[in-house]
Amino acid sequence: MIKTRRELLAGGLATVAAAAAGAPAWAAKSTAKSGSSFFAGTAVDNGVTYRTTNFNKIDKKWHKQVVKFFSSEPQGTVVVDTIHHMLYLIMENKTAIRYGVGVGREGFKWYGYATIDRKALWPKWTPPPEMIKRHPELPPFINGGDPKNPLSARGMYLFREGTDIGYRLHGTLEPWSIGTDASSGCIRMFPEHVIDLYQRCPIGTYVQVLPHIADQAGKSRPVLDPTLE
Amino acid sequence: MIAGIDFRRLAFAGLLALLAGCTTTKMEDTTVDSQPPPTGGSTNEAAPGFANMQGGSEEDFILNVGRRTFFTKGSAELDSVARATLDQQVAWLQKYPSWLVKVQGFADDGGSESGQVALSQKRADAVMAYLASGGVAQSRMWAKGYGKDREVRDCPQKACQVQNRRVVTNLRSDRDQP
Repeated sequence: MIKTRRELLAGGLATVAAAAAGAPAWAAKSTAKSGSSFFAGTAVDNGVTYRTTNFNKIDKKWHKQVVKFFSSEPQGTVVVDTIHHMLYLIMENKTAIRYGVGVGREGFKWYGYATIDRKALWPKWTPPPEMIKRHPELPPFINGGDPKNPLSARGMYLFREGTDIGYRLHGTLEPWSIGTDASSGCIRMFPEHVIDLYQRCPIGTYVQVLPHIADQAGKSRPVLDPTLE
Repeated sequence: MIAGIDFRRLAFAGLLALLAGCTTTKMEDTTVDSQPPPTGGSTNEAAPGFANMQGGSEEDFILNVGRRTFFTKGSAELDSVARATLDQQVAWLQKYPSWLVKVQGFADDGGSESGQVALSQKRADAVMAYLASGGVAQSRMWAKGYGKDREVRDCPQKACQVQNRRVVTNLRSDRDQP
């Protein structure tokens, strides 16, 4: 069922408001990996120098590839399969470009249809209030392009009927988190992949988000309200 | 099968797919690349032609560069996103100079049919000019506008129109290829 805005608000829209976040780079468990072989070097995009992914270290199933894709969704649609950590951009002839994704807690909380009504290069990140409660060391915001900004290279923002539903496709500072469920954030992609997808999705692109039904240690499943459209 | 998906919308999307199929079959040649549709198999298998992709192949161009640039309503202007894609196309085409380039423009912008054909031609010309200014030899390229033909998606909503307002840069081996 597609959740209405009211349901999302009741369920805590505040937790997905503003910009969703990847796990902050200062979080203890990730600092050990920040200098690891997961990074190949650096590149410059729109004036911002960023760490590139070492794809030799990444399982091939998370690499960008063209696959068969049988679906009733039309060409040009983005389909996010959160449970399997895949994002498909549907092309002609029953094929799609498939990208691996990481799913953060905001990525579990909503599913249905939306459109990408806003896109941003190296977006500024404002952690939502709940996240600041959990991590009081967080600054009130991090500028776009900052090496600690978990949105990384791009943000694509999902809207329904003109309203930002708080659901984002964004990059990551932590390539090892692709293919996993992350503690925070929405749908994260390798920076190279989110840069690529950004080129292929004009404003207004239709997105179908398929539900995530796995439990996360103590998290309950999203409640389906059959009375909603 | 998938919990929570509204079946009316699914059926509508299915109808869209059907309409898109109907729109393409009456055309004299197809926009789509030379890969045949997968005749069988299942989702997530490698698409035909992509399993052992070679650098410099059409598949390489499709996956690693991108063939499409998009336009806003009524416009033939290349925005920064379009130029970023085209810069990558220029680099790839310079690296693999034996490919010819058929630039196809499309429109779904309202108004008369002739107006849409003109707009789509203008879009194709803009892309071709940008590729030429980047160093791709004009002798390798030609551009054609198709108006509202060959819609990717047929519906009045914006989600369809934005997909149709596009130019596709196609690779060809010879000029007579459709």
